[in-house]
Amino acid sequence: MPEEAGGGYEHQLQRLEFGDDITRREAAKRLQAGILFLFTVRIGEGQETTNPMPLLSSRLHVGEDGAITVLTGKIECGQGIRTTLTQAAAEELHIAPARVRLIIGDTALVPDDGGTWGSLTTPQTVPVIRQACASLREYLCRYAAQQWKMDAGEIHVSNGRIRHTDGRTLSYRNLIDNKAFGAASIAGARLMPASEWAVCGTPMPAVHGPAIVRGALKYSSDLQFDGMLHGYVIRPPNYRCRLLSYDASKAARIPGVKIVRQDDFLGVVAPNEQAAAAAAHTIEAHWSNEQLGNPDTLFSDLKRNSKPPDAKAGGRYPALIEAGSVDQGISRAAHRHKASYQIWYIAHVPLEARAAIAEWRGDWLTVHCGTQAPFPVRDEIAKAFQLPPEHVRVVVSDTGSGYGGKHNSECELEAARLARNAGKPVRLAWSREDEFERSYCRPAALMEVESGFDSEGKVHAWDFHNYNGGAASLTPPYRIGNVRAAYHASISPLRQGSYRSLAAVGNTFARESHMDEIAAELKLDPLEFRLRNIEERRLRTVLERAAERFGWGRVRSGNGVGYGLACNLEKGGHLALLTELEMDGAQVRLRRMVAAFDAGAILNPDILSNQVEGAIVQGIGGALFEQLKFDSNRITNGRLSEYRVPRFTDTPEIDVILVDRRDMPSAGAGESPITATAPSIASAIYAASGKRIRQLPMLPAFEN
Amino acid sequence: MPDLKLTVNGIEATVLADPSTSLLSVLRKHFHLTGAKYACGEGQCGACTVMVGGEAVRSCVFPIHNVGQKYVETIEGLANSAHLHPIQQAFLDASAFQCGFCTPGMIMASVALLDRNPAPSVEEIRAGLAGNVCRCGTYSRIVKAVQSAAKAGRNA
Ligand code: FES
Ligand code: FES
Repeated sequence: MPEEAGGGYEHQLQRLEFGDDITRREAAKRLQAGILFLFTVRIGEGQETTNPMPLLSSRLHVGEDGAITVLTGKIECGQGIRTTLTQAAAEELHIAPARVRLIIGDTALVPDDGGTWGSLTTPQTVPVIRQACASLREYLCRYAAQQWKMDAGEIHVSNGRIRHTDGRTLSYRNLIDNKAFGAASIAGARLMPASEWAVCGTPMPAVHGPAIVRGALKYSSDLQFDGMLHGYVIRPPNYRCRLLSYDASKAARIPGVKIVRQDDFLGVVAPNEQAAAAAAHTIEAHWSNEQLGNPDTLFSDLKRNSKPPDAKAGGRYPALIEAGSVDQGISRAAHRHKASYQIWYIAHVPLEARAAIAEWRGDWLTVHCGTQAPFPVRDEIAKAFQLPPEHVRVVVSDTGSGYGGKHNSECELEAARLARNAGKPVRLAWSREDEFERSYCRPAALMEVESGFDSEGKVHAWDFHNYNGGAASLTPPYRIGNVRAAYHASISPLRQGSYRSLAAVGNTFARESHMDEIAAELKLDPLEFRLRNIEERRLRTVLERAAERFGWGRVRSGNGVGYGLACNLEKGGHLALLTELEMDGAQVRLRRMVAAFDAGAILNPDILSNQVEGAIVQGIGGALFEQLKFDSNRITNGRLSEYRVPRFTDTPEIDVILVDRRDMPSAGAGESPITATAPSIASAIYAASGKRIRQLPMLPAFEN
Repeated sequence: MPDLKLTVNGIEATVLADPSTSLLSVLRKHFHLTGAKYACGEGQCGACTVMVGGEAVRSCVFPIHNVGQKYVETIEGLANSAHLHPIQQAFLDASAFQCGFCTPGMIMASVALLDRNPAPSVEEIRAGLAGNVCRCGTYSRIVKAVQSAAKAGRNA
């Protein structure tokens, strides 16, 4: 419902309570002339969220030119939100997509939509924006009804206009001249049902595609401001160090150079990058060093340092899932199997290394950056400087992606520190080496699994323990009577954090590999064995569809060629992935992969298949060779020449089948399709070589 | 620091910089051409690919004194104002990107590849572009884009 339909921006932005006068004026400029609508929306029940439906806010702006701007706190990192949110808005507003604009990730203007993580844009933000747009459409209808003394129910918006039988028309821009119409409560404006979608559900090309292919899209690292200065951070020689002392006397004598120190942070600011680097190199810093522990005993250490699962931790990913009695189930089972699986640390390696430009005005700070989480980063920075959050404005540019790696304020906070007393904007750009060494990585994990099953291939008991990885995808998608699945938090030598699909990569690898092993033990076909244990219709369907396209069962592994499969159900995405590969000694060549994916009603099939393909490819790296190595002091392969990522020559032919369930809510899909890659490859490697690899990455197992 | 003359996308300019400065940094800072990207700084990923004298180079490890009299061409110079280059169009048509950060480098590397080999096989495309990284994993789409650009080129 529009909360407010009147007043100028100054007034409205005042109400949003951010920034000083200048910031507010600058922000208002981004909106151009028009009128800003504020909505509070309660999205429908039945969406996948943790808490009772919160009240969410949404903002729409109607411009003088009739264009409608959607303001969103989600950011674009290649997952396509610019396009899918445009589609969703155009659909509900009944206007052409070309009339929709977006302002993303500017905390001064946009509502706090949370971070761009957890595949929540589709299930959470899209419904809010749709509801807001439907309400605005309804509001326009009511306005027309009032003007024309008609019943609002008889009025329809088409192509952004309402037409009276006598020829008069009204469009969204007419709302601007009629501020007096005022606030209204519009409960339950009708959303377009998926069966009637005209814009959603189509493969609309990326709205910023032309800018991308022209090299014109500005990422955070491309921004340059007049008169800005450049920062350089003195990095410690090792991973975890404290700054004991430093001598910056030489640097301090260079004109234009400022030294900034705060706790363990030491940096310089200079008029250009070369000068900053040169000054930094004259500084002698002394650091203490904290050892990282022994990488050779990583997994036993993770287990030894772990805590029992926190049974009270609910939320989206409870740390303990229990059904029936596992101990009885296992002791009574005709067959038992026990194995453990390990996955190593990996780095996100977003192709764009972080960059930020920070500018202070008194106690007011603006930071331009490419984070995935504008509001959390704003709050972190505010906290670090002991400022109220509304003193900090974070403005996000498109980012050369993140994959879960750009949630925290790292580069942003460093830039803010460097700029604190600089009197000008200060830019700090991370190097690739900084990316590897200073950001957080995907956790390493140990998974211990024990199962009990009968000779018919029915699994009856499942005891699953993840150490240090996390709780995503702990619940097996199989019908098993006795389950205990637990996540034991631990102490990690490396800084770790979110990663595409979180712990679901490791948990799915362990679970699906284990299932494959049971099938092998019972001499059952892995597909047939899965189907005997799956009740969930949609998961069966994706397995059957992928198997049919792949020709599963018509082809036999042998002569170094192997066929494998895996499936998963994560965040509402039902996934099956089949792999064909060829082995020659320690060489694994992926030939072909067939995926089938059902994530409910599809908003944009082209973007979805792109996400599925990309996630599979990213999964190949972690499955076969990606590994962030360290010794007792530091990361040892923190550059692109030493850390191998998937390339053209590593990529098989990928065939993606999308199952469009218009009758189901749309689930986010940027993450879950990564989860089946490793176990599907492991299954095919076993079929080709008879070797069961229980560690990620897998290739090192063949090296000696 | 000496003055160096550079011709970039047909525009000549004099740059005051150390001759060992990377072409990438000069393009981005002096010419404000930010299409070529920094991603690894060691010639490993191709995000910084531009053409020097008609050949694709990794501008992050290419010192400006090596440019000599040769013309530099960047992604910004590929399209004329109204029309995209056929390879840009092919990338657009195939949605051969996600975040798009690798795209300028991919397109420049593809231009060079099709110059050398106007009708490459899938394997030749993969091998020819193996030095370019797309962390978003859009490789299959890029292969399709290059194939269709090659086909369009043959039909033109
Ligand atoms: S940035 Fe030049 S090759 Fe990676
Ligand atoms: S599209 Fe993101 S790196 Fe290629």
